[in-house]
Amino acid sequence: MILARLALRNLLRQRRRTALTLMVVVAGFLALSLAGGFMAQTFQGLSDAAIRGGLGHLQVLPAGNLDGDEAQSLEHALPDGEALAARLRQDPAVAEVLPRIQFMGLLSSGPRSVAFLGTAVDPVREPRFMASLDTLKDGAKAPGGAGSHWLSADPAAREVILGTGLARGLGASVGSSLTLMSTTKDGALNALDVEVVGLQDLGLKELNDRVLTVSLATAAQLLDAGPARSRLSIVLRHPADTAREQLRLQALLPGTTVKPWFELASFYRQVKLLYTAIFGFMGLVLFLVVLLATANTLLMSVMERIREFGVLRAMGLQAGQLLSLLQWEGAFLGLLGSALGLVATLLLRAGLNALHLQMPAPPGTSHGYELDIHFVPLVYLAAALGLQATIQISAFFPGLKAARLRIVEALRHV
Amino acid sequence: MLELRDITRAYELGGERAGVFGVSIEVPRGCLAVIAGPSGSGKTTLLQVAGLLDSPDEGEVRLDGEPVSRLPEKARCDLRLRRLGFVFQAFNLVPVLSALENVMLPLQLQGLAEPEARKRAEAALDRVGLADRRHHRPGQLIGGQQQRVAIARALAPEPLLVLADEPTASLDHAHGGPLMDLMADLARERGTAFLVASHDPAVIARAHRVFRLADGRLVEAP
Repeated sequence: MILARLALRNLLRQRRRTALTLMVVVAGFLALSLAGGFMAQTFQGLSDAAIRGGLGHLQVLPAGNLDGDEAQSLEHALPDGEALAARLRQDPAVAEVLPRIQFMGLLSSGPRSVAFLGTAVDPVREPRFMASLDTLKDGAKAPGGAGSHWLSADPAAREVILGTGLARGLGASVGSSLTLMSTTKDGALNALDVEVVGLQDLGLKELNDRVLTVSLATAAQLLDAGPARSRLSIVLRHPADTAREQLRLQALLPGTTVKPWFELASFYRQVKLLYTAIFGFMGLVLFLVVLLATANTLLMSVMERIREFGVLRAMGLQAGQLLSLLQWEGAFLGLLGSALGLVATLLLRAGLNALHLQMPAPPGTSHGYELDIHFVPLVYLAAALGLQATIQISAFFPGLKAARLRIVEALRHV
Repeated sequence: MLELRDITRAYELGGERAGVFGVSIEVPRGCLAVIAGPSGSGKTTLLQVAGLLDSPDEGEVRLDGEPVSRLPEKARCDLRLRRLGFVFQAFNLVPVLSALENVMLPLQLQGLAEPEARKRAEAALDRVGLADRRHHRPGQLIGGQQQRVAIARALAPEPLLVLADEPTASLDHAHGGPLMDLMADLARERGTAFLVASHDPAVIARAHRVFRLADGRLVEAP
């Protein structure tokens, strides 16, 4: 412990220099932990958007559905998707099963026709678990969106909710009558008159220009689908069990493919990859700054104490113990820096979150969001360990220089 | 106790060959021996070889009859810690430690528990007359007091031999004489050998043995 005491006293000897180095460590910790908290918020937001946007936690797809394109709607489908959904609803791990039909076709207002991508959902079950009503709320603010409401539960109702861009393209608004055209699952052309009951804003312009939502009953009539469904979205009671439930349900459902949401949410994966790369690069730069700052401090400290080191070596301090002495100094810098950094992080995080700052919409989306830097102990631990390792490395080289000093030369040093 | 046999340690200084050449001396227990000579005569070089801080080019250092100058650095370091003590001209106390902590330092490096090290360090400081200054840092002590702390630090581990390089050079006569009296007393009381490099007549006057060097060669021995 004598080396630890000596190391601490040495740091206190040059208070200003030690304080400056500590500031660098604190700044490094602060930047890493706040960026980590911001990333956690972003990933959480994106995963929520993907899951509540329709994917659910798991998706049951017809085997091979992902490998080929469909020449016509329901070419690849779960033949009796409704029965399968009913069976899955009995599973204790499953909170809800939402059958969906994906289809495409032309939407016509008479003078104008636009290609669409349609999704048919259960109008009763869907809003309980998905963000359907959230998108509608925004749609009500769009031109022509006044009076927007969700699809009727009546199976005989023929209603459609349009993406705001698609409505604009057709000059349609709530209350407009339009004609849906598509091919049945057997390839025959079919058409159905529908009434626009709502506009929806999905946050991505490309989607808003093309998508529409109808009830399963409407799509089943248009496509002559019967009980066939494109996919089933499964909402689990315990989202943390997604990976385990995927394996279990896959074993229970031969002839289908069960996929977790994160394998299907390509936007989530791309953003996560991008943020991780940015965070990694930023971390590398920060670690480099901390490395240079602490190495400089410790090297200056060694240069000023050469004679002292010579005396210690003359008294019988082993070269390895001199290395340890510098490692102790680095350890104190790291521990104190991380502790102060943690306090600064918690204070700044609380301050920033209290400001309710509105962040600009991410690229490709139309919604901003409120800054809410998450509390992520694992990121704090990783930042502290990373900085500590960096400082110990930076202390090694000055320590090596001290340990390699020739005693007689060190004693002569002025 | 300490034997230097035909020690040669040469180095280049200003284009000329300096150092010590073929020097042999012997210092028994309880002896206050002085290596005297003018500046550049090789006193410090000889002291560094005797203190295992440097290795001779030729010759041999023996401690209690054991050859030690060719030992690996780790072993020599251990010998310095357990059997040798050092006093330097510029005192060279660790500035961030108190007088007591400075004296405790070699004891703690030896692995002594803190209470035991504290007890022995307090006794050593008491012996050099600085018991009431034990919590002062070196910067709060005058030169003579700092050198006494250095002596206490060298003696606390109870070494066989204390090597002192110009211990009075930074002190005035009022402090230098009593310091040498203290060393002579300690040599007699404890049987510790002292080897002192100095050209101070007050030091030489108190020596039990004097070895005179000139141009790196022994010109006078007892």
